[in-house]
Amino acid sequence: MSVALVVGVLVAIGSVVLVAAPFLREPAPTDDRLLRPGEAEQRRLAVAEERDRALAALKELEFDHRTGKVSDDDYRELVGALRQRAAETLRAGG
Amino acid sequence: MPDLGRAAIVTSFLLLAYALAAGSFAAWRGRRRLAESAQNALIAAFGATAVAAAVLLAALARHDFSFQYVADHTSRELPLGYTLTAFWGGQEGSLLLWLLVLSGYSVAAVLTARRVGREVLAWVVPTLGLVGTFFAVLLVFVASPFATQVAPADGAGLNPSLQNPYMAVHPPMLYLGYVGLTIPFAFAMGALLSGRTDERWIVATRRWTLAAWAFLGVGQLLGAHWAYVEIGWGGYYAWDPVENAALMPWLAATAFLHSVMIQEKRGMLKVWNVLLVVLAFCLSLFGTFLTRSGIIQSIHSFTQSSIGPWFLGFICLITGGSLALVLLRLPLLRAKTRLESLVSREATFLYNNLLLVALSLTILWGVVYPLLSEAVTGEAATVSKPYYNFFLHSFGLPLLLLMGIGPLVAWRRASLRALGRTFVWPLSAALAAGVALLAAGAGSSRIGVIAYTFSVFVLASIVLEFARGTSARRALGGVGWPGAFSSLVARNRRRYGGYVVHAAIVLLAIGVAGSSSYQTVREGRLHPGDSLTVAGNRLVFRGFETRTESNHRAIRANVDVYRGGEYLGRYRPGKNEYFAEDQVSNEVSIRHDLLTGGDLFLIADQVNADGSVDLKALQKPLVNLIWIAGLVFVGGSLIALWPDAREERRLAERYERAAVRI
Amino acid sequence: MARRGSPARLIVALSVAAVLAVFLLYTSIAGGGTPSLQPSQLPGHHGRVSLVGIVVGKPTGDAHAGGLHFLLRDRHAMASVPVVYTGSVPDLFKTGREVVVDGKLRKGVFVAVPNTLVTKCPSKYAPKK
Repeated sequence: MSVALVVGVLVAIGSVVLVAAPFLREPAPTDDRLLRPGEAEQRRLAVAEERDRALAALKELEFDHRTGKVSDDDYRELVGALRQRAAETLRAGG
Repeated sequence: MPDLGRAAIVTSFLLLAYALAAGSFAAWRGRRRLAESAQNALIAAFGATAVAAAVLLAALARHDFSFQYVADHTSRELPLGYTLTAFWGGQEGSLLLWLLVLSGYSVAAVLTARRVGREVLAWVVPTLGLVGTFFAVLLVFVASPFATQVAPADGAGLNPSLQNPYMAVHPPMLYLGYVGLTIPFAFAMGALLSGRTDERWIVATRRWTLAAWAFLGVGQLLGAHWAYVEIGWGGYYAWDPVENAALMPWLAATAFLHSVMIQEKRGMLKVWNVLLVVLAFCLSLFGTFLTRSGIIQSIHSFTQSSIGPWFLGFICLITGGSLALVLLRLPLLRAKTRLESLVSREATFLYNNLLLVALSLTILWGVVYPLLSEAVTGEAATVSKPYYNFFLHSFGLPLLLLMGIGPLVAWRRASLRALGRTFVWPLSAALAAGVALLAAGAGSSRIGVIAYTFSVFVLASIVLEFARGTSARRALGGVGWPGAFSSLVARNRRRYGGYVVHAAIVLLAIGVAGSSSYQTVREGRLHPGDSLTVAGNRLVFRGFETRTESNHRAIRANVDVYRGGEYLGRYRPGKNEYFAEDQVSNEVSIRHDLLTGGDLFLIADQVNADGSVDLKALQKPLVNLIWIAGLVFVGGSLIALWPDAREERRLAERYERAAVRI
Repeated sequence: MARRGSPARLIVALSVAAVLAVFLLYTSIAGGGTPSLQPSQLPGHHGRVSLVGIVVGKPTGDAHAGGLHFLLRDRHAMASVPVVYTGSVPDLFKTGREVVVDGKLRKGVFVAVPNTLVTKCPSKYAPKK
């Protein structure tokens, strides 16, 4: 079955090429390290997530207040703390 | 040709094993090129698996009976459609489908996971490689679809009960669901293994999880519909182990979908989320194992095979490995935020999670009970409908109620006074409905009334959510109602898509409650001219009609249906007798009442030699809501899945701004 | 104002306890399942059991009038028991098939609970006889 043979050879060659490609493309790389984000980068990410969370919570609170799920008193109580949190994260460099 | 198939599968196995081994090494030692090479191996494995699948498909289409698999599951006169769907009709082919879907998903997920970070992806690849290697090992060494034989003149044919369109959609849908749960699992392991505790893996896999969950849900509804119209005993779910096998991971995945929202909003429950995704994946593997190993008695039992121990071993490996990993990373995962109030959306999500997991585990207990009781007492004992129904009611009804409460409660802390105000309308609607139902005589079933009242509560709260949200949006922007509505949904597709899905579940609950708590069943032996009355419908038997087709003989009982003197039509329940397979199949006749959504379900239980029929008739109120719920479910899932340009931009800014580029 | 213990742990503990309570309540009332037995294991069991076996011989009678009579045999042994059954008979029911039916042994005959007869699907392909 020559079709089968051709396809089989193609699959084999294709697989080998794909697997070897990164090494063939860069036989002598300047840097082969799989870089992990450093401490600074991880902190930046954590702050960015915190910031997004604080901003989203603020938006959510406003919306909940407007649709009546949060009473005026509770809103006043919570919004201050949330605004402060959001401001902090923005300052921290998110 | 079989050689090509075998070679392709062996190639796939080698590539997946390479992805596992090289990928792990590369991730551990931080070797970039090796990590890329492992990732490419996954891609190549998909190609090789696709070639193997194509070989099997071609052999099926060609009726190449030298392939044992083709001879065992098809025959020359089988229509082409069923010949092709026989691909997944047996053990070996369905394993190949599993591997094909897995490798396809793996490639897609890995190539589109731009935001998850190289170091996490480096561990995702070997995890996917591990699962793929397992299935490839089964296909190469234990259950090969490419076994050959001396070609017989004709194949064994497909069981007539499998010759229907459902065979084309139900298994693939379920597989897209089962296998799809591997993706969030792999990314969770990737995150743990690389020591990352942020939510990138959740963000990256959100859509995959939702899609897999939706496929699994739709697959189950298709299976229920198949059982309803084709098997035709009058029901749609029998708590059979094979049915439960799909329900358990779906429930765990539902819990997971909800609890990740808490992690996103509040950064809590990181450990719980990882445990949930491991549970969902393990239940998915367990479900695959259940339907294959013949270990639990089931009317669906596939052939008893040697594949059981392999699956069991793999499940133990995965469970043990994941738990060990979680324990190892426990200090990293501890959250700093605390639950602020027992009355908050986070808390309702927690209750919802607990109920869903509890239901899933009690079903699991019921499924394995025969094995456990046999191991302990030497005698196998089974549990059946009463057991499952009890827990479905105990956990399911509170869950139904929570679906209505959750959306009305604010995050962090809900004010009780505000709660009172927001609950007024849905609560009144529910009470009014309850009173009306009792007056209409629905009190015959306590569970039914409770289910209906809760459903009204939830539907009212969903409508209220949409209404209040639209009005708030309108007040903001000065747009009209339609503009405000579409803007509301577009800006928060996950939430409002989720509400639509909730509505679908409520419709499902109403349909299930109606058709089980309020159904009427009547049976009797009818001679021509005799009649039977069920729920106000008079059924008159007029006699039999026989017709001979190419591969079967069709016997039909002509039944005229009258209601209050009005003639509603002639319905023909009966039997088909298949010559070649020497088998009889039940052909039910269903009358859909478009006005009430109910069905009149007619079964010709027994065709008697004296020309009489033993007829069984069921009147099932509101049963069609179940199928309509399926459509609403798909709609809601699509809304939730729909890409959101604004959100994509925000996420890109968060993750890719200072992304490490090589 | 930070709380010292998280209410989350309290909720989880209470809920798990509640779930367990519901579960234990059920099992203590409803008992531990129906024994699943083969014909050779029947003697000595007087309550309702689930009988599993292979249909041998030719079934006689009418399940909708007077009862269907058939013989059930162990999967891998010769012990058999006569069964009388009323109710719906699944399409796949015939001699040689494995079935499950609930009922009680009375005076050497297994009297089945109506409409509990279930036939296992044969292996997924229909072998040519």
